[in-house]
Amino acid sequence: MYKLMNTLFGQNIVRLSDNACIPFDPANSDATEFCKWLKDGNIPEAPDGGTVPTQDEVNAIIAKLS
Amino acid sequence: MAYGTINVDTVTTSTQGGVLGAGNASTMKNRIINGAMVIDQRNAGASIATPNGYTLDRFRVNQTTTGKLTAQQNQGSVTPPVGFSNYLGVTSSSAYVVSAGDAYWIDQAIEGFNTADLAWGTANAKTITLSFPVYSSLTGTFGGALRNSASNRSYPFTFSIPVANTWTNISVTIAGDTTGTWVGATNGVGVYVSWGLGVGSTYNGTAGAWSAGNYISATGATSVVGTSGATFYITGVQLEVGSSATGFEYRQYGTELALCQRYYQATTGIAVPVVINIAAFVNLPVSMRASPTITSTNGTFNVLSTTSIYQSVNGSGYAGTSLTLSAEL
Repeated sequence: MYKLMNTLFGQNIVRLSDNACIPFDPANSDATEFCKWLKDGNIPEAPDGGTVPTQDEVNAIIAKLS
Repeated sequence: MAYGTINVDTVTTSTQGGVLGAGNASTMKNRIINGAMVIDQRNAGASIATPNGYTLDRFRVNQTTTGKLTAQQNQGSVTPPVGFSNYLGVTSSSAYVVSAGDAYWIDQAIEGFNTADLAWGTANAKTITLSFPVYSSLTGTFGGALRNSASNRSYPFTFSIPVANTWTNISVTIAGDTTGTWVGATNGVGVYVSWGLGVGSTYNGTAGAWSAGNYISATGATSVVGTSGATFYITGVQLEVGSSATGFEYRQYGTELALCQRYYQATTGIAVPVVINIAAFVNLPVSMRASPTITSTNGTFNVLSTTSIYQSVNGSGYAGTSLTLSAEL
């Protein structure tokens, strides 16, 4: 399970199993795993104070990490 | 000496006209990082009960089902081979019969920037030699493989351990792959180097030839996980250009640590002050291969780049925070 996180310099990904902060970098192997998880039809939790991403937003994340 | 040539010293020879990065060079000769198994940032020498990923720096121990192997730096406390102080030790936890789709293996993924000059996938593909001392409680034919990033080109190889519980020096020379797609000068995986510890038929190929397959080991290789308590120890791993093994390229500790820190960093003692609305930045000692994944014992650190991370602070401070940063392949 993952959650999006808004930061001072854009968005990161939080892996909820260990609270690891994962960057939006397609060269990061954990980000690649997150991308596969999204492609399997999963949706990350909303960032604090934000909303759950729409499917279009998820598709944009997949494109960014592919 | 003619203009444009260079003398390059190895352990026992001097080769006129050598090319840096080639077989006899002493700079970037060994494409393996932490081949002497000195650096263990994750575990500091402690035993890893259920390894399934990185153990000693840059070396992974992989298990289809965890619990079949344990791993540790200097496991079993045998005397390392002459010239080395450490080794990666793996021990089988049971007598497990691998099925076709099972795979238990050690590997290192070498970054494309460090293999691009091999020119694999072209007519100019260079020959390499993989060498390492190995020690096992078992005897027989063991296996391993080289594999590309897409896992669709592999070269399985075998090596023999004739005497149990004795270090045996292994040298495997492999002509470079002239076909297939190999990652060039990028931060992706250039070459996977693997040693099988019990690999099912799906991931075993015929030794001694390149083929279009995803192979981790060679057909007929001994299964370490097949014998309870069986050991497999390895150190001095070197992958170099050329058709013969030369002396191991020893590196200064600081150099080897820095090479490892491109992929993983463990830091302790980070302190963040109690202030309102600031961002506390930490500059990393080594630029990492990619923006890293961060785990923290206090609060959340965010990634700024391959060289910098930060924490947004709003009234809460921390002392003694430990961080891990991973940009592994």
